[in-house]
Amino acid sequence: MLKEDFIIQSHLRKMLIRSNINYSKMDFGTVKGVVYLRGLFQVASHPAVGEEEQEREYVVRTLYVFEKKIKSLPGVTDVIFQFLNWRKDKGQWVPVEIEKKEKEDEKKRGSDVSANFE
Amino acid sequence: MKKREDPTYQLILSEIEREVQIHPDYADLQNHFGLLWMVGGEMKKAEKHFLEALRLNPTYREANFNLGCLYLEMKRWEEAKKIFLSEARRFPKDGFLQHVLAILFLQAGKKKEATARIFRVISHHPFYREFYQKKGSWQKGKMILDLKAERVLKKISSNYFHGQYHNFIGLCLARKGKSAQAVKELRKAARLKPDEMIFHANLGTVYYYQGAYSRAVREYRKALKIDPTYGMGYAQLSYALGLMSRTPEAIRYMKKAVQLNPRYADLHYNLALLYSDRKRYGEAVSELKKALQINPEYLFARINLGVLYEDQKKWKEARREYRRILQITPDDEHIRRRLERIS
Repeated sequence: MLKEDFIIQSHLRKMLIRSNINYSKMDFGTVKGVVYLRGLFQVASHPAVGEEEQEREYVVRTLYVFEKKIKSLPGVTDVIFQFLNWRKDKGQWVPVEIEKKEKEDEKKRGSDVSANFE
Repeated sequence: MKKREDPTYQLILSEIEREVQIHPDYADLQNHFGLLWMVGGEMKKAEKHFLEALRLNPTYREANFNLGCLYLEMKRWEEAKKIFLSEARRFPKDGFLQHVLAILFLQAGKKKEATARIFRVISHHPFYREFYQKKGSWQKGKMILDLKAERVLKKISSNYFHGQYHNFIGLCLARKGKSAQAVKELRKAARLKPDEMIFHANLGTVYYYQGAYSRAVREYRKALKIDPTYGMGYAQLSYALGLMSRTPEAIRYMKKAVQLNPRYADLHYNLALLYSDRKRYGEAVSELKKALQINPEYLFARINLGVLYEDQKKWKEARREYRRILQITPDDEHIRRRLERIS
């Protein structure tokens, strides 16, 4: 199968713009058929505003559809999601508490710094 | 149907009204709100919002043009003249400006000056010669400035703001995912003012997202013919050609986009992808390096660079890039595995 990264990247851009995803805080790249997505995953508008559980379910559904669509693009061999606020765990999309993650990262950086001093 | 009875007009007017209430300091919203009132025949309300847009952003050209057109419609000639003369000093090649000045000179009974303005338009935009010929106002190399010509000139001014209106409605509909309706509106805009670059570019973009790539290419080409310095237009043209598998042309236009926007890392990245797809690795590496010079944290450019070095068996360079990526994102297992494989 052809792995034309430029074509995959163009399809991806088109797909994002036509979707209900707010891609302003998201980056994406394609490397030899492997699609990378980073940043914050957010939907542009929720059908059930204010109802937390329904909003969350809607985002999860959007994530599954998005993932399926990317994988169906010709030439895509793998998709690597590196979102700050969502991660895939045993096939399930789960929200990540950004504050918690930032603290963990900070802690990690702190121990790296102390390791450098040792 | 009058604009005010059109449900799309009503819907967008109420949406913009809500947005203006939330963001009264957005000049763009004030300008669009003014435009909607103007097309709906509410001249006083339109004036208020154009003036507000210009208070918020005194260099806002489109709002100034709209206000000038509004004064023309309201027959407030002196105020219109003041606006268009100052704009014409800044943009002497702008065909529309020369047209409205011709109207204003005709209004003041200065036929000679009006003719000079029209000659200026024709020399910069030969398209208008044909336009006047069709309307019967251009005969044997001369402009016949009779009542009919005056009507034609006034039509150009009203076409300007109606074009702006249809362009704006088209963009609103495109954002709502109603691309067929958006195309209809944008085509109306481009028909009303065929020399407006942005109308063709917007139409091209809606066609592109519809998957109608040939039509998108045609509109982008029209836009670039009008304004050959529109860098992002070349990038859009390149994306459409790429999806049509016309890679050599896609490369040519992406190169042009890069030339015109050399500080835009994403364009260097896209050009690198095109080169790398054609196995022109040296050029791809060079473009990725340029993207990284502009933005050293441009992770995807660095991943691509590492993988390209790997492809060329330049293990040391590949390792260096992967290590840099892991400094930025230590959790990237994919890159860690790639690094382990070549360490």
